[in-house]
Amino acid sequence: MTGQNKPKLLWLQSITCNGNTHSFLNHPDLFSILSHFELVHHPALDTDYSMEDIIAGVVPCDVLILEGSFREVGFVKGGVEVSSLIELYAEKAKHIISAGTCATFGGIFKQKDPKSISGFCFDGEEKTKRYQIYASKLISLPGCPIHPKWLSYVLLMIAGKKDIPRDNLHRPVELYGYTVHTGCTRNEYFEWKIDTKNFGLKEGCLFYEQGCQGPYTRGSCNKILWNDTSSKTRVGTPCFGCTEPNYPGESLFSTKTNMGIPDKMPLGIPKRAYLTLTGVTKSFHIKRFSERIMEYDK
Amino acid sequence: MNKVTIKQLIEKIEGEAELDFTFNKGKIEDVNINFGFYRGIEEILRGKDARDALVITPRVCGICNHAHLLTAVRAIENGYENAGLRVNLSSKANDIREFTLACELIQNHVKWFYLTIIPQFEKYVGKQSNENYAIKATYLSSIITKALAIFAGQWPHSSYAVPGGVTCDPTHLDVMQAESLVYECIKFFEDVMIGGSMDTYLTIDSVTSLNQIEGDFGNLLHLISVNDMVKAGKTHGRFIVFGDCSIFKPGKSIITTVSNVDTSYVEEEIQPGTMAKAVTYKQKLYEVGPLARGMVAKTPIVKSLHKSYKDSMFTRIFARVHEVALLLEYSKNLLQNLKLDEPSCVLDKNVRPDEFEGTGVVEAARGSLIHKTRVKDRIITNYDIITPTQWNLSHGTKEEQGIAVQAMIGTSSIEEATFIFRTFDVCSVCTTQ
Ligand code: SF4
Ligand code: SF4
Repeated sequence: MTGQNKPKLLWLQSITCNGNTHSFLNHPDLFSILSHFELVHHPALDTDYSMEDIIAGVVPCDVLILEGSFREVGFVKGGVEVSSLIELYAEKAKHIISAGTCATFGGIFKQKDPKSISGFCFDGEEKTKRYQIYASKLISLPGCPIHPKWLSYVLLMIAGKKDIPRDNLHRPVELYGYTVHTGCTRNEYFEWKIDTKNFGLKEGCLFYEQGCQGPYTRGSCNKILWNDTSSKTRVGTPCFGCTEPNYPGESLFSTKTNMGIPDKMPLGIPKRAYLTLTGVTKSFHIKRFSERIMEYDK
Repeated sequence: MNKVTIKQLIEKIEGEAELDFTFNKGKIEDVNINFGFYRGIEEILRGKDARDALVITPRVCGICNHAHLLTAVRAIENGYENAGLRVNLSSKANDIREFTLACELIQNHVKWFYLTIIPQFEKYVGKQSNENYAIKATYLSSIITKALAIFAGQWPHSSYAVPGGVTCDPTHLDVMQAESLVYECIKFFEDVMIGGSMDTYLTIDSVTSLNQIEGDFGNLLHLISVNDMVKAGKTHGRFIVFGDCSIFKPGKSIITTVSNVDTSYVEEEIQPGTMAKAVTYKQKLYEVGPLARGMVAKTPIVKSLHKSYKDSMFTRIFARVHEVALLLEYSKNLLQNLKLDEPSCVLDKNVRPDEFEGTGVVEAARGSLIHKTRVKDRIITNYDIITPTQWNLSHGTKEEQGIAVQAMIGTSSIEEATFIFRTFDVCSVCTTQ
């Protein structure tokens, strides 16, 4: 992949499952997005520079994509600490994209050793000491794994030399200004407080009964669908909050409640407002919501 | 001094590996395979709710995450049964799980074929075309994972299989959409990969008719033949399969005799100098993966190739690509016969034993994947994951060399050896979960 004047794109992996790599490989417009860049190194695609060149420190880099959680010492590739490679290229880069929850906040692998494993610039919600150095060029794209379309948005914004509006955790607001609850096909049931009776049903909301984190989770999974097709909640799986700094929590298939009231209010909703509305909606019985949408005759 | 050891970093596999090659008089005498960082998923699972394994274990691996989900759910269901709770999965739930797993295997095999095998082999024999093979890989994989996501919500990292069934409740509309995506993949397989019709392809049952295959697959087979490598990369000739579905049969095959298996004979052993543990069956090493599946199921063309070339890399590569055809056929049939009127999930989510021990087995892309879970007061006290790559890529036992190591021994160049290594569809993330 050549292109002299195009921004040089480098994809580096740290402690990862490769999920972000494979998520992005499924982007239907992958090669049109990459055509705006010179891909200098990638974990799966053929590139001009090898891992050995990366280790030698000779690879050019304008845009750095980081995948996987960060650990200062003890994670070695070809005899070199991966952390030092990341810092070397982060220094060179004009933009740093932390792809996935691991690279952004620490993610699942942080649980193995919470003291020494974190995200690159954040440790959960806390800033790491690297934050000050790299904050000006940092774009956070949490998600376990990253949503391919979210990454393509950022890459195309960079290629078009546009500024990307970001929130205090450096997440693009166009992507993380929503919650996963936005656009969920079960929203009507949420409004009328109708829980799904079990797994495997189209009807009902997964909030009280199955632990859905949609109302607290920033991300546009139900607006920009996965694989252009669907989302967890659309197929009846609760959202597990995989874009959030505290992911993964405990007991992922259940919602903590206190005397029938959820422990945590939906993002930004005052408890009083929530309880008042819940009280009102629960006093109605709406036939349509207690029935199945369709029955298949045997 | 005839012996020299050369270190080599291998990339563009799933993750990276470091291989130390020991040459003796110009031939490779031993190989040490080292995988890097251990991520500790088994430890992370300890102390968590039993069902959290459905969310955590897919994160073992970005490319076979779905296999981990299905193995985890089977381990829980097996545990429920052991504790006296019957799980009578509906055929609908079972078929949907089989379908989504088939989709994951297809994307894996096609990515391996186009991203790893063809470009690396062309590089090795010095015949580099300027074709963008990667675009073919990602075209097919984005289509088949779309079909997967219709039922599972997303790929990678879905958690749509739950004890007693699946969370989705598909409609005819969903099934029709999935069917047309599968047809699109079949079309790609026909037009681009084999240059002919699938029906004709599936009648090929012996080495003598291999030349009927055209397309990229035909070209690769031809290229391996003309470079005189059809017999390179042989190993111990022992194969094992634990997973069960209508196209894969459990069993072990030694040369050509097939017999039964039982997961209780599987043993894990820590190896010095690497994060990967070695796995054996009754203390013996076995190859897992598509070649093993073809041998145990006695797939005619795989058996015929084995008769001529044994378990060479040629036979191994063939078996993996051939599986794409079998899986496409299988997924088409699963969708056609899906019984939408059955329940998606038969267990009430609140009915679950507090204490159990269970084992789950699934045929993942690279071979048998085993999860063992032990649960007390609904909390995981122990979790054990045995990945396919641990079978194929271990360094071996005191008595014999590991499967992939043996296949590389005797070759005279690092380039040839590393190509043979890649035919095992190497995944370092799984190995070092
Ligand atoms: S964030 Fe999730 S998908 Fe990405 S590397 Fe970590 S575990 Fe894998
Ligand atoms: S299932 Fe989750 S995301 Fe959907 S409406 Fe209910 S709470 Fe919101």
